[in-house]
Amino acid sequence: MSAKSIVELATEVVPPGFPELYRTLTAMNEELTLGVLRQHELTEAAELSNIQLQLEICERKKAEAEIQRLNLELEHRVAERTAQLEEVNSQLESFSYSVSHDLRAPLRHVMGFVNLLLRDAGPTLSEKSREHLVTVSQSAKRMGDLIDDLLAFSRIGRSEIRKTEVDLNQTVREVLDDFQAEIKTRKIWVEIHPLPSVWADYALLRLVLVNLISNAVKFTGARAEPKIEIGSAPGAAGETVVFIRDNGAGFDPKYADKLFGVFQRLHSQVEFEGTGIGLANVHRIIHRHGGRIWAEGVVDGGATFYFSLPPRNGGSDEPPAK
Amino acid sequence: MNPQQSDVKNILLVEDDPRDVQMTLAALDELHLANGILVVHDGAEALDYLCHRGKFKGRLPGHPVVVLLDNKMPKVSGLEVLKTMKADEEMKMIPVVVLTSSREPSDLREFYQLGVNAYVVKPVDFSDFMAAVRQLGLFWGTVNVPPYELGGNEVVDHNGPVALLEKKRA
Repeated sequence: MSAKSIVELATEVVPPGFPELYRTLTAMNEELTLGVLRQHELTEAAELSNIQLQLEICERKKAEAEIQRLNLELEHRVAERTAQLEEVNSQLESFSYSVSHDLRAPLRHVMGFVNLLLRDAGPTLSEKSREHLVTVSQSAKRMGDLIDDLLAFSRIGRSEIRKTEVDLNQTVREVLDDFQAEIKTRKIWVEIHPLPSVWADYALLRLVLVNLISNAVKFTGARAEPKIEIGSAPGAAGETVVFIRDNGAGFDPKYADKLFGVFQRLHSQVEFEGTGIGLANVHRIIHRHGGRIWAEGVVDGGATFYFSLPPRNGGSDEPPAK
Repeated sequence: MNPQQSDVKNILLVEDDPRDVQMTLAALDELHLANGILVVHDGAEALDYLCHRGKFKGRLPGHPVVVLLDNKMPKVSGLEVLKTMKADEEMKMIPVVVLTSSREPSDLREFYQLGVNAYVVKPVDFSDFMAAVRQLGLFWGTVNVPPYELGGNEVVDHNGPVALLEKKRA
């Protein structure tokens, strides 16, 4: 037999075009294998990121739980603190009640019985003894004034602040009206510059003006040509600054920090009467409005008091004194 | 003045502090009122008097022309006395004037909410105090007309109310 080479045989058996087909199939197979491999890789990667995601979710849940716990704790602490403050507040209430009632009664008795004694035995006493009794009575009266002032001061600290638009022009004129008699008889020169409207508690702001203006009237008492000037200027961050200037007795700037303390006075009772509560009230009111107060003065060279009030929705109001 | 007289208009003073009693009586004394003044020392005594019980059992019938009521007192406070009076059909007609040291807004509100007829803060100043009490005595003792037939209460001569009061307490 004529031997045909294997190659020849193969060529006969294999249809034409097979090698191309074979190559194509092989190539496809390879691609498929690669594809499967890539799929595996992708699946692995997806699984990995899934695990990471789950970890992240877990952590986030933990954080959320922590936040909730902290929130609860905070709420609890706020409630606790509020209860404490309420307790302190009610103690203060009962303290001022007790001041108002229990301290006033014995004072009334001191004054009452000294006066009954003066009335019944006055004619039989010596001039000096009668003077002593009058002194007792006057001192008791002064203590009564101090107690009333202290009570009013504590009330200012506790009262709620109700802010409205207050026309300073009008309010200043209203307050000046109350001093009209003295302004006229003493020929006090009063100059009022145009004033803006401010956002404040009307009654309390009026009290500030009454105090500052009455001080200006009082401390110009020794002047031959007393002068009071009231004006305003815009301050920083939209606040309004109001000033009340007088050419009165003034004060030593060395003691300026004592001006606004309770019962602190820079003048003797003989020079100028007063209990020393007025500027403390003013300070407390302005402070509770979120404003500032300061003063400039020279001994015998007059004084200028400034206060600032924050704009509407500006500045933070201080809650009632604790 | 005859203590048995039945038409005398009595003033009931409810006050625990003997010094305030003395000063109030001194002021009323200046008026030389025809009214008798009866003093009791706390809210419990006041209610006993008004309700004819305890040591006031068997007193002559009738209501005081006005009750001058202190607030802060032992046992039963003035506010509690007023509360009890206003809850009673008969007693709620008796005029009540609070005479107190306190000008606390909460006190004022509570008393007016209960329908007190007047609220007077005892002035610290002597002449103001005397004037306030005199005005009260004059108005409630002689000017104001109470809504009921005035009965003959146990009358205290205005010259010696403290003595009689001390006798009552003993």
